This record gives sequence, structure tokens and C-alpha cells, in this order.
Amino acid sequence: MKKNKVQGFIFLIPMLVIVGTFYGMIIWNFIIAFTGWEVLLPTWKFVGLENFYRLFELRRFWINIKNNFLWLIFFIAPTSFVGFVLAYLFTNLRRGEHLLRQIFLFPMALSFVINGTLWAWMYDPSSGLINSILRRIGVNTLGLGWIALPNTAIYCMIFSAFWQYMGFALVIYLGAIRGLSSAMVEAAAMDGASKFTILFRIIFPNVGHATLICTTMLAITTMKVFDLVWIMTQGGPGVSTEVLPYLMYRLTFSSRDIGMGAATSIVILIFSAMIVIPYSLWALKKWVII
Amino acid sequence: MTDQRFRIISVVVIAIMAVIWLMPVYTLFNTSFKTQAEVAEQSYISPPKRLQLANFIQAFKALKIGLRNSIIISSVATFLCIFLGSLAAYSLTKFNFRFAIPVFFSIVMVTFLPYQIILIPITHILMTLRLLNSYAGLILIYVILNSPMAALITATFFMKVPVDLEEAAALDGCPPFTFYLKILVPVSLPGVVAATILVFVQIYNEFLLGIVLTRGPDVKPVMPFLAELKGTEIAQWHIQMAGALITSLIPVAVFAFLGRYFISGLMAGYGKG
Repeated sequence: MKKNKVQGFIFLIPMLVIVGTFYGMIIWNFIIAFTGWEVLLPTWKFVGLENFYRLFELRRFWINIKNNFLWLIFFIAPTSFVGFVLAYLFTNLRRGEHLLRQIFLFPMALSFVINGTLWAWMYDPSSGLINSILRRIGVNTLGLGWIALPNTAIYCMIFSAFWQYMGFALVIYLGAIRGLSSAMVEAAAMDGASKFTILFRIIFPNVGHATLICTTMLAITTMKVFDLVWIMTQGGPGVSTEVLPYLMYRLTFSSRDIGMGAATSIVILIFSAMIVIPYSLWALKKWVII
Repeated sequence: MTDQRFRIISVVVIAIMAVIWLMPVYTLFNTSFKTQAEVAEQSYISPPKRLQLANFIQAFKALKIGLRNSIIISSVATFLCIFLGSLAAYSLTKFNFRFAIPVFFSIVMVTFLPYQIILIPITHILMTLRLLNSYAGLILIYVILNSPMAALITATFFMKVPVDLEEAAALDGCPPFTFYLKILVPVSLPGVVAATILVFVQIYNEFLLGIVLTRGPDVKPVMPFLAELKGTEIAQWHIQMAGALITSLIPVAVFAFLGRYFISGLMAGYGKG
């Protein structure tokens, strides 16, 4: 048995190295953020919070923060809500559930690059699909610039991500609703509760774990939307659709300001950790119980 | 509202939403088969007069190196991720190590943290190792970033394998690695397939590392190529759409044939067991 344990530990070593490397790189990133850089070479001189001060002085940085919050609000809530309601409607289907579920879920298998290419065309003000259809039914599309206008661009982008991820929310909620005891719902129906009441007063409070999974995963997704921004608008018009990962890329690889890029990474790390650490602790309990 | 009426309303709402969801895909298909003159008419719903396969040939020419690179990189990296990940999952779920839970926790964290936070160190490591712009470099980074997820998903499936099976194998003198290869993996095959699909699609769809870690076209994955196609073929929507369609063939095929595993992998990965 003892010999087996040694072998079992050997199986784990590559993963320990991998995970260790990941955490090592996080620490490395901290070192970079707190030291000075010349072109691409570290000076290894401790500069304290200077990189952060320079970052916080950028108006662009605060626009990025605001945009990240817009993503959190206008992406997570609608995606989860529509997914939840649709999942409830799905429980009424007698047939075709598998196919229909695939229709809503498959966009998730596409990359943000493909999604962005497709939707950039849909939103194109002069020859895009949406404006063409609107013109056909007699709407004046002159002011409808979609992703070409600073005040609508980010919402258009969020909608394309909604299209891509709603199926995820649907599947998570469908699993959770199926897992509820039917007796509970039937009892409520006996008492004359309306469908609306059943959905929001009885089902919703009992699928809290699904809501947690769904909102957390979508929140993490908003930290990864770099590709979509790059493809659809390159952060524009102006910097109106930039999000932190995009700013981080621009500062590091376009402006070659490694210190400030690393500082942005740390801001992203702090935001992500606030989501990921509590979620991982919660998820861990579920995994270990199984 | 009676149940009957509610059911009808449900079906109608779902049907309408399904049509909306398929709309972008329909026009993607439709446009990719049209000539530029037809696209200019902006009647996106009507089908093409003749199928323009030339669009696909033009798009494929621009993407083929990227497709080759992506297939090589994704296949090798996925294999390594699944192998190393499932071995670690075996180790963590079947040997009762006291440190298993903290290690598992750190794996979960790595799975969910966005890799942008270590983008600069990644670039430096590859620069130091002289692996920038090489298959080996990209594969190394993809393995570091995705094998934790493979471990996480396979572990949730390994946990369900009954202890008796292990004990019986141990009594027969079956060494751990043989048990892993001959019993554990075959018994949890759905989990291994689910992890494979998710990791493969994730690597294939990746974009940022593809642009940061490569110079020139030699080893660049397909997603940056598609992004470039979009840049060079401005307003050539039919070519762009053909390119998007070609690029999405692999993930969509995986999803169409193995969608069931895709879902079970998602569920496992996100903590629903």
C-alpha cells in the first residue's frame, strides 16, 4: 500500500509544477508592477506604487472600470434571467427538447472571434443585417449606428455576448429545476398559485445554487471579453468599449509600458479574486461531499 | 391559466426565441454563398442565386496555414492536458492524501482565474526559453493554462467510481498506473471525453495568446488569421462570413456529435457534479 502511495504522489507532480508555475507567475507579475522598466528590460528598482499612481491618473482607466461594471450589470442579469424563465418554459415541452436546447447552446462552442466577426457585420450601419431589415420595414436608420456610436457600442457588444451565453444559463437552470421535487410545485399549484408565483416565489428561491454558478461564471466571462472588443471595435469609438483586459494588452504590447500593464493585471486579479475565491470555496464543499 | 394554455404559450415563446437565435447563423450561411453584388442588394433573407464556392476557396487560402497550426497545437496540447490532468485527478481522488483538498482548491482557482493576469510573465518565460513563435512554446502555455481544468472535470467523474473496484484491483496485484489506464479511464470515459472536448474547443478558440506569442504566420493559430481576414477584407462580408464558417466547422462538429458530453463537462466543471 505504501509503495502505491508513492506512485500516487508521482502522478500528481506534473500538476503541482503546473499550478506552482501559475502562482509563481502571479507573484512575478506583482514584482513587475512594483519595479521600474526600461523598454523591455527590468531595472529591478523598487518604485513602490508609482505604476499604480500613473495608471489611476489615466481617465481612460476609469472609463475601462465603468465599462467593466456595465458588462457586469447588463450582461449577467439579463442572461441569467432569460435563461431562467426559458428553462421553466422548457419544462413544459413534451418533445424536441434536445434539439431546441442545442439551438440555444451551440453559440457557446463558437469563439469570441467568430461571434465578433458575425455580429460586427450584423451591426454594420450601412450594409449590416439589422439596419437592412429595419429599412425594409420602413424605419429611418440614419441615427442607428449600433457599434459605430460611442453611446450604444458597448450595449451592442454585450447583446452579442448575451446571444452566445444565454444557452449556458438555460442549461444550468434546466438542470436545477429538474432536480427540484415535483411535489413542491404541485402543492403550490393545488393551492391556486399562478404560474408566475410558482416561478418566482417557489422555484427561484430553491435554485440558488444554479443562480450562483450562473452569475459567477458569467462574471468571470466578462473579465475575458478581450477578443470580442478587439474584433468588433478595437476598443472604439474612442475608448468607449475598452475593458480592463484590453487596456492591459494595449499598455503592454502597444505602448510598451510594461509596469503599467502589470499594474492593470493586478487590478484585474483583484476583481477576479473577489469573484473566484468565494466561489471556489463554495464549489469545493460540493465537490468534496460527492 | 390552465396547464394546456400555458404549455401552448411555452411552445410558442420557445419557437420564436429559437428563430431569433438561429437568425444570425442563417444569414452567416446565406451570405457566405453569395457574390458581392448579391450582398450589396442587402436582401439577406433571400437565398443565393447560385452557390459561390469561390468565396470558400478564397477564405480557405487565407486561413489554411492557421487551420493547420491550430489543429496541430490544439491536438497535442489537449492530449497532454488530459493525460496530466487525469493523472492528477486520479492521485487526488483515490489515495486519500491529507493535502488533497488544498491542492484541489488551488487547481479550482487556477481554472477560473483569467490568464490575462499572467500574460506578461508568460511572454517573458517564452522569451527566456527562446520559445516565442514556436509550436512548443504555444503548447507549453496552453498545457499550463488548461490542464487544471482537465483535472477538475475528470476528478468529478473519478469520485463516482466505487471504492470496491479499486480494492478488487489492488487485491489482484494491479499496480496504480495499470489501474488508471485499464480500469479508471475506461469506466469514466464520458468524463474523459467531456474534458477532452472542453479543453480542445477552448484551445482552438483562443485568440489573445495566439497574437501575443507568435510573430508572422508560421505557427500562428487560426483565430488571429480570421481576425486578420476581417481586417484585410473590409466590407467583403461574403468572404468574412465564409472564413467564419470554415473556422467554426471544427467546434460546431464537435458540439453536434458530442454535445451531450459538452454539457456534462460544463456541469462537472462548474461544480454541479
